[in-house]
Amino acid sequence: MNAPVKTPEERKAELQGMGESRLRKEDARFIQGKGQYCDDIKLPGMLHMDIVRSPIAHGRIKKINKDPAMAIPGVHAVLTADDLKPLNLHWMPTLAGDVAAVLADEKVHFQMQEVAIVIADDRYIAADAVEAVEVEYEELPVVIDPYKALEPDAPVLREDLAGKTEGAHGPRDHHNHIFTWEAGDKTAADDAFANAPITVSQHMYYPRVHPCPLETCGCVASFDPIKGELTTWMTSQAPHVVRTVVSMLSGVPESKVRIISPDIGGGFGNKVGIYPGYVCAIVSSIVLGRPVKWSEDRVENISTTAFARDYHMDGHLAATEDGKILGLKVDVVADHGAFDACADPTKFPAGLFHICSGSYDIPAAHCSVKGVYTNKAPGGVAYRCSFRVTEAVYLIERMVDVLAQKLNMDKAEIRKKNFIRKEQFPYTSAFGFEYDSGDYHTALEKVLDAVDYKALRAEQEQKRNDPNCPTLMGIGLVTFTEIVGAGPSKICDILGVGMFDSCEIRIHPTGSAIARMGTITQGQGHQTTYAQIIASELGIPSEVIQVEEGDTSTAPYGLGTYGSRSTPVAGAAIAMAARKIHAKAKKIAAHLLEVAEGDSDWEIDRFKVRGNDEQFKTMSDIAWAAYNQPPEGLEPGLEAVHYYDPPNFTYPFGIYLCVVDIDKGTGESSIRRFYALDDCGTRINPMIIDGQIHGGLTEGFAVAMGQQMPFDEQGNLLGNTLMDYFLPTAVETPTWETDFTVTPSPHHPIGAKGVAESPHVGSIPTFTSAVVDAFSHLGVTHIDMPHTSYRIWKKLKEEGVQL
Amino acid sequence: MAKQIVKMNLNGQEIEQLVDSRMLLVHFLREQMSLTGAHIGCETSHCGACTVDIDGESVKACTHLAVQCDGCDVKTVEGLAEGGALHAVQEAFYEEHGLQCGFCTPGMLMRSYRFLQENPNPTEDEIRAGLSGNLCRCTGYQNIVKAVKSAAVKLQQKESATA
Amino acid sequence: MEVKLDKRYELGVSAQNAWAILSDLEAVASCMPGASLGEKTGDNAYKGSVKIKVGPATAQFGGEVEILSIDVANKSLVLKGKGADKGGSSASMELEATIEETEGQSILVGAATVIVNGKFAQFGGRMMVQVSDVILKQFVDNFIIKAQALGSATGDTAGSTPSETQTAANESPNELNGLSIFWALLKSWIGSLFGKKSAS
Repeated sequence: MNAPVKTPEERKAELQGMGESRLRKEDARFIQGKGQYCDDIKLPGMLHMDIVRSPIAHGRIKKINKDPAMAIPGVHAVLTADDLKPLNLHWMPTLAGDVAAVLADEKVHFQMQEVAIVIADDRYIAADAVEAVEVEYEELPVVIDPYKALEPDAPVLREDLAGKTEGAHGPRDHHNHIFTWEAGDKTAADDAFANAPITVSQHMYYPRVHPCPLETCGCVASFDPIKGELTTWMTSQAPHVVRTVVSMLSGVPESKVRIISPDIGGGFGNKVGIYPGYVCAIVSSIVLGRPVKWSEDRVENISTTAFARDYHMDGHLAATEDGKILGLKVDVVADHGAFDACADPTKFPAGLFHICSGSYDIPAAHCSVKGVYTNKAPGGVAYRCSFRVTEAVYLIERMVDVLAQKLNMDKAEIRKKNFIRKEQFPYTSAFGFEYDSGDYHTALEKVLDAVDYKALRAEQEQKRNDPNCPTLMGIGLVTFTEIVGAGPSKICDILGVGMFDSCEIRIHPTGSAIARMGTITQGQGHQTTYAQIIASELGIPSEVIQVEEGDTSTAPYGLGTYGSRSTPVAGAAIAMAARKIHAKAKKIAAHLLEVAEGDSDWEIDRFKVRGNDEQFKTMSDIAWAAYNQPPEGLEPGLEAVHYYDPPNFTYPFGIYLCVVDIDKGTGESSIRRFYALDDCGTRINPMIIDGQIHGGLTEGFAVAMGQQMPFDEQGNLLGNTLMDYFLPTAVETPTWETDFTVTPSPHHPIGAKGVAESPHVGSIPTFTSAVVDAFSHLGVTHIDMPHTSYRIWKKLKEEGVQL
Repeated sequence: MAKQIVKMNLNGQEIEQLVDSRMLLVHFLREQMSLTGAHIGCETSHCGACTVDIDGESVKACTHLAVQCDGCDVKTVEGLAEGGALHAVQEAFYEEHGLQCGFCTPGMLMRSYRFLQENPNPTEDEIRAGLSGNLCRCTGYQNIVKAVKSAAVKLQQKESATA
Repeated sequence: MEVKLDKRYELGVSAQNAWAILSDLEAVASCMPGASLGEKTGDNAYKGSVKIKVGPATAQFGGEVEILSIDVANKSLVLKGKGADKGGSSASMELEATIEETEGQSILVGAATVIVNGKFAQFGGRMMVQVSDVILKQFVDNFIIKAQALGSATGDTAGSTPSETQTAANESPNELNGLSIFWALLKSWIGSLFGKKSAS
């Protein structure tokens, strides 16, 4: 006991717990090329699967000739829908209450849809075999415009739904109609508009884009015919849900199904759903009794896996003459593609779109979303969208700008006027959401000060009056409220499973620990941040807390990681599990210190006898005792599990400001400055938060300034490789400035809200706001994305802007 | 499928392997040599996740045949650390939080490794241009640029230490 | 993906000879590089195929060609063709072709709507117009040779010796060579950079 006494600050620093920008525990393997991603997995006897896909967007399959493919040496099988029919697996249920084809059954509904699979000795032979399968199609008329799809004489896409007037989300009134979903109070909203002195309307399109994580989707399915057990490594953001679904579809008991999400090279919502490739690999493995690997290529990924957005929105605001918003109405036509495979909680076919009243105190509001089938790939919810919050925030922020322009009001002023005030929290919106906490005014002032907003507006004014100025300067401002942490199980479920999450923690006799959760990191740094939470709760250094996720045989059941739910839900489960251990530890400590429980205090990493700093027990001491001399009445061991059902969503928020200079001659935009202030409540690891913000802002930049998935009239997806699909490099990507305020969530055990999708949700309208603002003096109120140089150049010509 | 013998120096070891003429280097490394550091992110040679170092140049292994490496010096991310010590670029990426999901990282490291030999004292703009063949979706590049800058300093300090 | 083509080609042969070739589907088909006519499926309809080579890789489009209408008096016809290759590309074309007579010679006027689907549209879409130009130029060259050969056989010549035209007719390419198309494209693109206008 001659070691120097450490100060509380030193002891806290040693823990490397919450609030520390500690370096990441997962990095060691990644920087040495020793990560284990799905395609890295090689099993003895493993075969490779590849997919024959439809070249046309809509048609009947007349004939499939497998023979030339089967004749290639090394090809083991060629399977079509007919081979899956006896297993009733040619169609599968989607997360949205619809069905999707696993392999096209008599009809193809979108270009690149899966028609047949080949299994071969290696990926080269599999690729040869795919080319050799002969499929004859009869082309059918294609529908790619959702408005045209709803015309009375539009082609029928879903013959399998013929006669079904009741869909999973209510009545269907047209053969290409999926659902119409509403929220808010239409009467109140109509009244507000009827009596309002000012109303504005704007149509806006949020283009279809694709999350495009650097790693494509894939799996290695391995059925052991001797044990009757199925193990599948899968790029999945929700391995437990997949296990449950696979068990239901395959008939293998869930206890004999093991889904393992290994290291995942980016998810961004692209890896939530169950794709035909996974189902086919699993079926093939069961049938052949050998492991089967499927790794899709980039074209397949962009063309067929979960796309994002494709919302055609009509927004309306009613206001007083001095800019106080009285009402909001929104109507959306949602293009879902050929099957409704939208990854939303069951009760919300339009996700959390009804957060569209935003950061504003709007007394009356109504929104309706109409889902439509078209000849495109299925999906809709993906790409850091928090379940349609990207669309909702885009809508309201654009509408507020439109209103500001109508009233000739400053875009910051109109926001201040309409913000929900700090005293109003918890605030119930006109759509029924109870916002937990927020302080928008303080955050906005902080940003406006930091960028010297007044000076920027003065500069813009001066440039507008200077005919020789070669650029149009625009200032974009967005003040968004996010809604994440899905969610309370009474309203949020995925296929009937409530959206709780979980954590189990076990402390070892020598004081280190292992913890497992129901979420799965894809780069968010859970192995580090989760350990930090436990470190602060239990006084064990985060360095010796092992965090594991993704193996359904060991991790407690969880709903996975998407929609920024890990910190709000699993983070809470971690704190609650740790507190259960803490409570038991307190009893053991009291026993060891020979005092009553109430006479000891917890300080950072130890229980101390009150008034006597020399008498203490650390968690290490307590752990040893738990295994060796547990007090009478307490069972041995030191562990706990907690399943956390959140009482509410959490509502992180942000204030983003962007300055853009547009070249009058070329239409090229230069992002001069992007200032991002985020409030995610308690901040676990500032370094990791900043990293997430940089990444989300960059993906937002890509969406706003260049990404699109254009279809021609025949339903061909033009530009589904990285030749055309815009992924910014280090050259185009701006430098980001980050800032923060801290407004903890009152209902969360550690006050944390989650943050990773905020930068994406918030930045996209900010870029649009800046670009439109550059043209606003010419009366332009909106320009649809993407803001490529070419599209802006066309706008410049349209507005008669000369160099 | 025609097969050929290919001989190369791979991460400091002389090897001799039988390969299909059409086998891509990236598949050779990942599947035949079990070096799964180089990753596949696209099929149009845009993403750079497969970047390795051949005879002193950054090469995208996805558009290079294994047989083209006959007689060459090939270095992958698994060969960056020497004698158990991480290379300066690896340390810097760790210290500057230059990675999140880790998928682009081997390619970024191999490119940074070569870039800093081409340009030992780069400006930020030069770093961004030098890495323009490597895509990342997670980091927004900001910390990667910091990491490369930091690695440049580390390497120069090593240089002057051994000088 | 839809492309509209409007072309005029000076043929340097008499309108009579030009029409003789145009109205003979078998002769026209043999002018199309890489094309061959198969069985007749109707009065004015044939099965056909077009083979294209790019380096060692070959693609074979199988399809149908049909003359929808012929106006002998005005030397004009409407032709419809469509085809698909097993690899996942398909194309259809409706073409109105007319032989216009001018002093001493004739002009082949074509207006076509081409729709391309599948892989070719996805990846080759942006090159469609240029590739079509090159293919059509090859077609017209062959057409002129055939029409001239007709002329020398009947004693009606447009200025080349019988042996030359006969040899030229025998040498007309029977395959559509992708690499040579690419090369021709590259040459014409570079030429256009220097202000040279392309031939059609």
